[in-house]
Amino acid sequence: MAAIELEGLTKEYGEVLANDDVTFDVERGEIFGYLGPNGAGKTTTIRTLLGLLSPTAGTARVLGQVITDEGQLLEAKRRLGYLPDDPAFDETATGREALELHASIKGDARSEELLELFDPPLDREIREYSRGNVQKLGLVATFMHDPDLVILDEPTSGLDPLLQQRFNEFVRAERDQGLTVFFSSHILSEVRKLCDRVGIIRDGRLVTVEPVESLLDRSGKFVRIHAAESIPKQAFEIDGVHDLEADAGTGPSGGTEYVFTFTGDVNELLERLRQYRLLDLSLEEAPLEEVFMRFYDGEVRDSDTDSDGANRVVAGGTGGDDDV
Amino acid sequence: MFELTRYDARHRVRGSLYLSIGLSLLAAMVIWVYPSFKTEVDLDQLIAAYPEPIVQVMGVETMASLGGFLSFELYTFGWIILLGLYLAYSTAGTIADDVDRGRMDVLLSLPISRRRLLGERFAAMAVPIVGANVVPPIVVYVGAHLIDEPLAATDVLAVHLLSIPYLFACAGIGLLASVGFDRAGIAQRVALGVTFALFLSESLLTGTDADAVGAIAPMRYYDPNAILLEGTYNVADAGILVAMTVALVVAAQLWFTRVDIA
Repeated sequence: MAAIELEGLTKEYGEVLANDDVTFDVERGEIFGYLGPNGAGKTTTIRTLLGLLSPTAGTARVLGQVITDEGQLLEAKRRLGYLPDDPAFDETATGREALELHASIKGDARSEELLELFDPPLDREIREYSRGNVQKLGLVATFMHDPDLVILDEPTSGLDPLLQQRFNEFVRAERDQGLTVFFSSHILSEVRKLCDRVGIIRDGRLVTVEPVESLLDRSGKFVRIHAAESIPKQAFEIDGVHDLEADAGTGPSGGTEYVFTFTGDVNELLERLRQYRLLDLSLEEAPLEEVFMRFYDGEVRDSDTDSDGANRVVAGGTGGDDDV
Repeated sequence: MFELTRYDARHRVRGSLYLSIGLSLLAAMVIWVYPSFKTEVDLDQLIAAYPEPIVQVMGVETMASLGGFLSFELYTFGWIILLGLYLAYSTAGTIADDVDRGRMDVLLSLPISRRRLLGERFAAMAVPIVGANVVPPIVVYVGAHLIDEPLAATDVLAVHLLSIPYLFACAGIGLLASVGFDRAGIAQRVALGVTFALFLSESLLTGTDADAVGAIAPMRYYDPNAILLEGTYNVADAGILVAMTVALVVAAQLWFTRVDIA
């Protein structure tokens, strides 16, 4: 049984489809990134899973419990941690009081240990907290009862880089202990560092679900060539060269700089380039932002020609193949 | 159970203490002015001089005894109007403000049903409701003795005890508003408006053809005049107020379990 199963989850606000027939599974013990730009419908999916919104159509199960049945959902919530995108606590309480309230209702297995990692100023009133401190308090509250599954909506927003690093290490270690993590993000570098699989959502529709490596493989390399003299355009006419840009006379040494994204066979590319004198050559993994844009652009073109169902079948199939 | 009630109650203790002190000061002042008021003003003439609607709205029956004077100056004004409005307003802030400020997401991530969350939050309103009735009766009882206008201890106790179900009913109106509107400011204004409209409908329509309209107003079931002047304690009316409160809370719970949290 998967930790989270969505079946045709749909949420409609008047004319707007915030979630349109979203179907995928999050397997136990994986870190699943839910990616999409702001307004894509990530928070709607998450808040529906938590029972805060009721789906217009479709359903979902969290830890095997149906989310539209309050009794079942409560059962799931005992083993679930949730951090909203902008967590808020009673401003008049101190951090300690807020955690005590949580402990009294859901139990406290490990807040001490968590407070060493994320250390909000417990004895100050929450109204005096910075955004980052509220986030730290939220993280402690999310994990304190040692849940089996955590659902995190943009978890690292408000955390400084050092804490983000700490958070990443913590989440990976927890995953190794069997925790399932479902988190949303629009920050792609964060997803690449953390996730096993990603689901991409756009305009309320799930575009794809796949392992993060295959997304990166498909995205290819970011190639920068600095050639002593210009290279004829035909030389770049091989499979996998995208968005070629040339810039003549760059730098003190002159020559021409070429920049493009490459998804083909690197050997073939090097074979082609051998006959030219290069001043410099760099191949980097494409930034995920680029992947994302490419993917989205592709989707725009696809959706004009393909039927709506095609993407979902692919998405569902990938989800199924990855059963743990 | 009742973790949330305990938490809320703790946070309401200080405010309730101030409320109790404020109301005690009001009570002391009303009692303190009464002797000079009584000797220097022809009270029956004063009542006759008030416009009829005011007398009716404020439930003035007599000012010739401390009981009548308190009933109108302290209990109608201080308890029925001020406290009633305050509790409707304050309770209207509970759920709506949690939603408004985004705290409800965190609260509902806890393994606690919406029904229970609402019930527990409402139960914590017992702190200001009971708290407002702790110190003032002592002030009234002792004050009345000090100015040689003694009141029966049971009457003083009854006028406060019977105000408790009344205040819970007002809080119930606030709770329903709190669920119906997810902006705290709007919920609070609606609660104030509705409570005051009910007060007016009850007091202005009494004795008219539209008398029945006032039957839904909690104010009809709490009568300080009857307690302080006649010594009659209407327990059945208190029962109606309890039933009204339960109905309001259950309605709010049913509503709250069905809405999307904005």
